[in-house]
Amino acid sequence: MKPFILGLFFLYTIFLFYHVDGQSRKQGLSMAERVQQLTDMANKKSILKFNGNKFRDFVKAVPRNYSVVVMFTAMAPQRQCMVCRHASDEFTIVANSFRYSQAYSNKLFFAVVDFDEGSDVFQLMRLNTAPVFIHFPPKGKPKSQDTMDIQRIGFSAESIAKWITERTDIQIRLFRPPNYSGTAALVVLFALVAGFLYLRRNNLDFLYNKNMWATGALFFCFTMVSGQMWNHIRGPPFAHKNQQGQVAYIHGSSQGQFVLETYIVMVLNAAIVLGMILITESGGKGDPKKKKILAIAGVILVSVFFSLILSIFRSKTSGYPYSFLFK
Amino acid sequence: MLKINSKTGLSSLIIFTVLLLAWVAGFSSRLFAVIRFESIIHEFDPWFNYRATAYMVENGFYQFLNWFDERAWYPLGRIVGGTVYPGLMITSGSIHYVLHLLNIDVHIRDVCVFLAPIFSGLTAISTYLLTKELWSAGAGLFAACFIAIVPGYISRSVAGSYDNEGIAIFALQFTYYLWVKSVKTGSIFWSCMTALSYFYMVSAWGGYVFIINLIPLHVFVLLLMGRYSNRLFTSYTTFYILGLLFSMQIPFVGFQPIRTSEHMAASGVFALIIAVAVLKYLQSVLSKAEFKSLFIVGASISAGVVFLTVVVLTYAGYVAPWSGRFYSLWDTAYAKIHIPIIASVSEHQPTTWFSFFFDLHVLITTFPAGLWYCIKNINDERVFVVLYALSAVYFAGVMVRLMLTLTPVVCMLSGIAFSVLFDLFLREEDTPRSSESDVDDEQTVSSNRRLYDKAGRVPKMKHEQVKESDGIGANLRSIIIIVMLLLLMLFAVHCTWVTSNAYSSPSIVLASYGNDGSRQILDDFREAYYWLSQNTADDATVMSWWDYGYQIAGMANRTTLVDNNTWNNSHIALVGKAMSSNESAAYEIMTSLGVDYVLVIFGGVIGYSGDDINKFLWMVRIAEGEHPKDIREADYFTEHGEFRVDAEGSPTLLNCLMYKLSYYRFGEVRLDYRNPGGYDRTRGAVIGNKDINLTYLEEAYTTEHWLVRIYRVKKPDEFNRPKIPFSKRIVKTQNFVSKKNTKRRKGTLKNKPVVIKGKKLATKQS
Repeated sequence: MKPFILGLFFLYTIFLFYHVDGQSRKQGLSMAERVQQLTDMANKKSILKFNGNKFRDFVKAVPRNYSVVVMFTAMAPQRQCMVCRHASDEFTIVANSFRYSQAYSNKLFFAVVDFDEGSDVFQLMRLNTAPVFIHFPPKGKPKSQDTMDIQRIGFSAESIAKWITERTDIQIRLFRPPNYSGTAALVVLFALVAGFLYLRRNNLDFLYNKNMWATGALFFCFTMVSGQMWNHIRGPPFAHKNQQGQVAYIHGSSQGQFVLETYIVMVLNAAIVLGMILITESGGKGDPKKKKILAIAGVILVSVFFSLILSIFRSKTSGYPYSFLFK
Repeated sequence: MLKINSKTGLSSLIIFTVLLLAWVAGFSSRLFAVIRFESIIHEFDPWFNYRATAYMVENGFYQFLNWFDERAWYPLGRIVGGTVYPGLMITSGSIHYVLHLLNIDVHIRDVCVFLAPIFSGLTAISTYLLTKELWSAGAGLFAACFIAIVPGYISRSVAGSYDNEGIAIFALQFTYYLWVKSVKTGSIFWSCMTALSYFYMVSAWGGYVFIINLIPLHVFVLLLMGRYSNRLFTSYTTFYILGLLFSMQIPFVGFQPIRTSEHMAASGVFALIIAVAVLKYLQSVLSKAEFKSLFIVGASISAGVVFLTVVVLTYAGYVAPWSGRFYSLWDTAYAKIHIPIIASVSEHQPTTWFSFFFDLHVLITTFPAGLWYCIKNINDERVFVVLYALSAVYFAGVMVRLMLTLTPVVCMLSGIAFSVLFDLFLREEDTPRSSESDVDDEQTVSSNRRLYDKAGRVPKMKHEQVKESDGIGANLRSIIIIVMLLLLMLFAVHCTWVTSNAYSSPSIVLASYGNDGSRQILDDFREAYYWLSQNTADDATVMSWWDYGYQIAGMANRTTLVDNNTWNNSHIALVGKAMSSNESAAYEIMTSLGVDYVLVIFGGVIGYSGDDINKFLWMVRIAEGEHPKDIREADYFTEHGEFRVDAEGSPTLLNCLMYKLSYYRFGEVRLDYRNPGGYDRTRGAVIGNKDINLTYLEEAYTTEHWLVRIYRVKKPDEFNRPKIPFSKRIVKTQNFVSKKNTKRRKGTLKNKPVVIKGKKLATKQS
């Protein structure tokens, strides 16, 4: 008898366990509870950190009445993903702007899944790159549009916010924490200059050094004239490598330029100006031998480098007929 | 005595001749467009200026100032007198007036066409004067010759390009000349003249802001360098007060000079120079120790007060912060993010080194040498030219358009560089004859010199040999001169080539060249505008993208919704939204705006790249800025993020109004054997939507080369009617059942009056 009862008890316990287990598996958390939990978590931290289980509980579970924007990333130092770090910063800006904005609601949550904590999620989503931004809509599975196209629109906070607006109709007014680094750099620079001037207050002759000022002014001119401002605004590649592996230093069309190309132009310009100055100096008074050398050097500099710049110019203009010294 | 007289006479004759030749050369090199095409106003903005000038000549100046143009920005209208810089119109209007007083009967259009080339000569003269004040007459002549033909200036002043810049560069250079003159002399007369010239500049061009910031900057830097003088004080204070009062007389400028940040630097420097003057006075009264403490306290207090006032006024709203266009000069990424309409204009793009070289050629590579010598031999006025160069080169780097302000200073500094060089090398060792070469024009002097070399060599052998040890040798000398002359020659041919190829197309008449070199003129724009003016109602409203607003108003004389004066972004965005929505949504917008005709530019047939489909993304972007819910840029791209018009293009694009209007019935056209029907030559693709049906619009006119297509917007009763085949078009009558049958063949009359003899008809009684 006893064994029987024992066995029964055992069976019962098993059943009980099974029953309880089964119940929790089946129901999980109700939607209201999930929303409540998410809201609580979001109140603490604007970006939720998900591992595999949490991802399944909150993102994969149906039904939902909320959107989740998930950033899949690999932030661990040994992964050496510099892009992830930038992307994460931008993503945080968006999440924080949403968290502290008027539009804040429990319709949208921001989450992050790190590869080292939820590699199963990566497998589940069939991801093999990072970072990836995926929007999980309240109804249905993410479509192809729900994965943000980083290649095309980049991952600046503005484009993330715009993409979220497109996908969810929630407008996020971005609030970037003011960037003090520029101001700080300026202050430091001023402080350095002021300190330098103070240290050398007894010997301020260098301020009257015309050569220094003239060189500075010339350098500024070369910078501007060689199109560095264009580089700054447009951000062209350094040089172009085509399929055959040849490297092009000069952009083929007149509309664009490479960074290296502008450096070349800058050097050419500087050489021509140097030549002009040398020639002019050789016309003044002084040792005739030295003057002769100066003049010859100047003439060679001007003619050779001007022909060089002219031929580069010619290669970029279709049908330009003129050249000097060489084609 | 007599000899000196003849020498000054000779040098002034040379100066006169060179300037005259520069004027003639400058004038004639700007005539390519007139000779190739005809005397016609170019491009877009000039058409408005021409229209305004014609209005002023017809109705008088006061009418012009009060002109409310109801044909622009329908239904808003535009107060032209208060939103235009009137200097250009007044200049050509008064030239026209004077010529008519002299009984020279010139049409106002010809005055407008040739105004800019004539003013280029005046610019050359004022550049000569300015450079002469800065360096020497020789450098001045070089600068004048350079600026007469340099492409950077020609680009804005060819015949027919009747725009503010054409006269503004003259005003700019002349103001600077007078300013330098007044700093040099310290006379009130010259600074009054500066203010007057500044007044002319303010009336002519919005670029006057450059002057009102550069001159204070000059004063400020002079103060920093400890170059304060009473001359400076007199000239700046006079100029500032008069210039401020004058500039506020222009209706368009109004109270801006005291209310916007762009002008605040000038008032700050005004306060500063007065403070410095007070200190200088106190210095002469007080002892050294007293003065030192007073100086530190006074300077810091006054600087703080000025700074605080500006900040407080800005926050209180009395001083407007920087306007977008100016702000984008400092924060270079600003416009791209915030103001698509500024970013959309190609003139507002940054400048590549290619553009610099294209517009300035040898000058861009040599002007730093002139800058070097200006800094090495610094004085009050050379500080000015250095600052001018540095600020202009920065602005030109940020915006292609501002190349125009860089060009004069580059010409001046290059003139100085070449002048210094030639001055040293064309001058022989013998001093007596050398003063002549002060004024050296490239051609005359070089030929002179070489002749002189040959002739003078034999008799002066002995004399020269003594000096030979001092010089660098005649061979080297002539090599240098020849190289320099070659550079200048290259510059001259380059300028002509660029002017002829790049800057002389009127862009309203296009030319294409066949394989045999024959030239075809495509006059589609004028054809379309003429059609509009002849075939539409006088008060018809034409919707087009804003580029063509001025032309439609000027040539077709019809009402437009938006035009090149892009003052109302939301109105432009509305037009952009209409163009980028589907037909029914667009129809709602068009009826709400009262549009009668829609005009699109389509270059697919002839391969014209500046058409509306290529500009289309900007329309979408501008529309998206105002209506982010309805228009999304991403919808117009394929999934791979490409902008394609062929079958793989996004469905939103293939069904939007602009696409439909551009390609309506284009699928039926086969341009040549090699390509299938509907092959777009501009984009090099077969269009994706070949059977386009228009419900709300109908094609009204398409020009010869399909460049301009005009559509009529249907009235509400003209569309969505069911189409009935001819066989079913029967007029239905009332149901009438004939009572005739085989039995009763006789017809009956209903209510047949019963006639009884002797009685009147019953019906009549009742």
